[in-house]
Order: sequence, then structure tokens, then C-alpha cells
Amino acid sequence: MRIACKNLTYQYPRTDACIFNNLSCEFPRPGFHALFGQSGVGKTTLARILSGMIPVSGEFIDHTDVQTVLYTHNTERLPGWSGVGSMIESVTPVDFRKKMRKLIDAFGLTPVLESRFDHLSLGQKNRVNLTRYLLQEFDMLIMDESLANVDESMRGKIIGTIKQWFPEKCFVYISHNMVEVSRFCDHIVVVRGAHRVPQAVAITGMNDFGSAPAAPLKGMEQIMLELAHAS
Amino acid sequence: MLRNRMIQFFLIYLAGILFLLSVKYALNLSDYVIPAPMEIGLTAKAVGIRYVDDVLNTVVIAVLGHIISIILAFSVGILGGQKSWAGALVKTTAYNIQAYPIVAVAPLIFILLGDGLLSRLIISVMICYFPLLLSVMGVLSEPIESIEHFYRVTRKLTWKLQVKIRIFENISTLSTVIVGSATMAMVGTIVAEFVASNAGIGYSIRIALYQSDMAKILIALFWIGICTSGYLTGIELIGNSVHKRLKAV
Repeated sequence: MRIACKNLTYQYPRTDACIFNNLSCEFPRPGFHALFGQSGVGKTTLARILSGMIPVSGEFIDHTDVQTVLYTHNTERLPGWSGVGSMIESVTPVDFRKKMRKLIDAFGLTPVLESRFDHLSLGQKNRVNLTRYLLQEFDMLIMDESLANVDESMRGKIIGTIKQWFPEKCFVYISHNMVEVSRFCDHIVVVRGAHRVPQAVAITGMNDFGSAPAAPLKGMEQIMLELAHAS
Repeated sequence: MLRNRMIQFFLIYLAGILFLLSVKYALNLSDYVIPAPMEIGLTAKAVGIRYVDDVLNTVVIAVLGHIISIILAFSVGILGGQKSWAGALVKTTAYNIQAYPIVAVAPLIFILLGDGLLSRLIISVMICYFPLLLSVMGVLSEPIESIEHFYRVTRKLTWKLQVKIRIFENISTLSTVIVGSATMAMVGTIVAEFVASNAGIGYSIRIALYQSDMAKILIALFWIGICTSGYLTGIELIGNSVHKRLKAV
């Protein structure tokens, strides 16, 4: 399983500003990867291109053994006409019902299943949204700040659960949190401004929870230093 | 809610009467042009109850016309809100037709169908329907991206679900539009009766106009205001109860 983009050049229609200038990057295997970079460098745009939401010429993007790429972001909402429990259940395939109950429990959502989405805290909303995505058929899930507003210990637990229960899937986590990205992610793609050459560089993270194949162990400080330097 | 609406109406009605009387006495106009307060009172006594019957007759047609308009507007609006050639066709047609003053078509309907109940109903529906349709179509063609995204990327977004999401998310706007269109239904019915009918308060106003009897027109306006306020309040109460039920925990 591999998804890569090669020499991608892109600018939004009816604008002059070039967002990507010969950008090349790849997510070479299953695991928990990251897309990192300063605000405005085009992380969300790249995620939307990789997931097919923004169509670009086929030759720039290479999907190997990747059929379904889903993209989720932290401002998504669930319809409010019933409780989040029944909303999650209504979109979960029958085969995944057992997994659904385990995920709900692991993500600490059991007490809020009867509540409407609008009545949840921001962190609970993000957990509910992520849960329903994890219960879909996909090869790659791009999580655009999907764990924003989730407290740190729960965030670690959620990422650990994902890595443990979905080892054959590819996750791309977009976050501005350098510590989190360094600590949990296998392969970190740092996207930089369009004037920088190369526009994207790859760094290996600590991969603290250890999904296969294991990344070489480095000191966290060193990784953070590399990230800061690269971005 | 009803009390506030009634108080507002009474204040506006009273202000209108006072304005007319001040014009009458300032310009020394005869009772033939603007009736004296005593004459208005006597006219109210003479025709008040008959006019209540007439207004209720009009309200029944308006309510019926309003219900038909809502059903039609939602049916066509759902089709017009779709991203298909049929949707685009419906949308363009609706925008073009609503630009034409529908009331001008009323005489044609009376010539074709006569001056019975059906003509009043059709004109009421036509006047109420198009503004309602445009609002409904506007709401139903606007994606709620933050909700629809998930269903779209997972291929679970059916047209029924899309309509349900958009209606639910815009329930306040839609209930305001429906309340607003109730006035249009009332206007449409009165216009129809005024143009050519043999029943309803519009018909009574037309007769009063031929008699140049402003007192009768003022009494008719009073009852129209009272009944319209009651009708609008009723719809608002239904809208609020639906809204509360949908948003309840």
C-alpha cells in the first residue's frame, strides 16, 4: 500500500498564487503518518487532492493498492434529529457492529450516546465524528485536526487504539502539535512554502506505540528539532 | 404571542383611523369622503357580523391555498434543489415565472373558470406559491457541507437524506418563510375576490368601493387584520412546537 504525489503543481482556479510547485511526497506503507507544516502552506489542499476531492491530472498522484481514501476534518457535524449513538449505528455496516461497540467504549463515548450532536463538547464531537469514519470501508483515512479539543491523555489513547486495531490501514494525521506528531507518527511529511526546494521533506517519527514496520528510534528532541528546522 | 400581535394590529389600526380623521378635520373634508367616527360605529353595527362571516370565508380559502402552495413548493423545490438537468430546468423556469406579476393573470382564470371557489383558490395558490417556491428552492439547493461531506464520501448520501438534512438545518428559516407566505395567501385570496368573485371579504370591499363607502372598507380592514393575526399566530405556534420537538434532547 502506497500513496504518493510526484512533481505536483497546483494553484486554485482564478488565482495567481501557486500553492504547490513540483511537490513530491509519499506515504509508503500502512501505519500512522503525519502531514505537518505551518498554517497556510496547503496541508488541507494536499489532503483534499490525495482524497480525490480536488481533481488533478492522474499522473501526479499514484495510488498503489489504495482503493478508498477518506478525508475527515474537525468541523464536521452529525445531523441533529436523533442521538449520536443511533446516528453512528445508522451508518455502520452490519459487519462492523461489534467493532463499533468496542470503539465507542475505547473513545469514552458511552455516556453521550443518547445526546444530540449539538449538545456535546468540542472534544466529544471530534471523537464521535472520528468513530463513524473508522467504521467505514477505507484503505486510507486523512484526519485533518480530527483530535483538536480532545484532552491529551484521551488523544494518546485514541491514537494508540487506532494503531493497534487498524494496523493494515494507512492514516495521515494533520496536526500543528509538534510533540504529538513526533511521538506518535511513523512517517512525517513536512510541507513548506511553494518557494522552498524541495517543498516537502520526510522525517521519521518516534512511533512510540510501535506499529509495524518499526521506525528507527530517535530521541524525541531530535525529531522535534528536525521538524522545526524543516518547517 | 397572539396578544402581542393583536396589540400591534390595534395600535396600527388606531393610528390609521386617527390619521384619516386628522386629515378629514384638517382639510375640512365631507363625511362622503372620510366618514365621521359616529358613522363608522353605525356601519360596524350594521355590517360587522356579516363581514366576520365574509372574512372567515376568505380565511378558509387562504388556508387551503396556503396548504396547497406549501405542498407544491416543497415538491417542486426538492426537484429544483437537485444538481441535475431537471433541477436546473425547474430552477430557471421558477425564477423566470416569478418575475412576472402573477396577479395580472387573474382575469384569464376568471374568464376560463368563472367566479367560483376554484378560481379564488387557484389565484390564492399562484400568488402565495412562487415566493414560497423560491425560498424553499434556495434552502434546498444550498449544501450543508459540514454534515453532507461524510455521507458524500462514503456514498451514503441519497436525495431523501440530503433533503432531510437541509430542511432540518434550515427549519427556522423555513418556518419564517411559511409564516410570511400565509400573508401572501390571504392577499391572493382577497385580490381574487376583489377582481371577480361573488363571496369573501374581497367581494364585500369591491361592493363598498362601488358605493364609495369608506366606513365599510375600514370595518372590513379591521376584521381582515384580526383574522390574519389569528392565522399567523396559529402557524407560528405550530412552527415553534415542531422546532422544539426536533431540537429536544
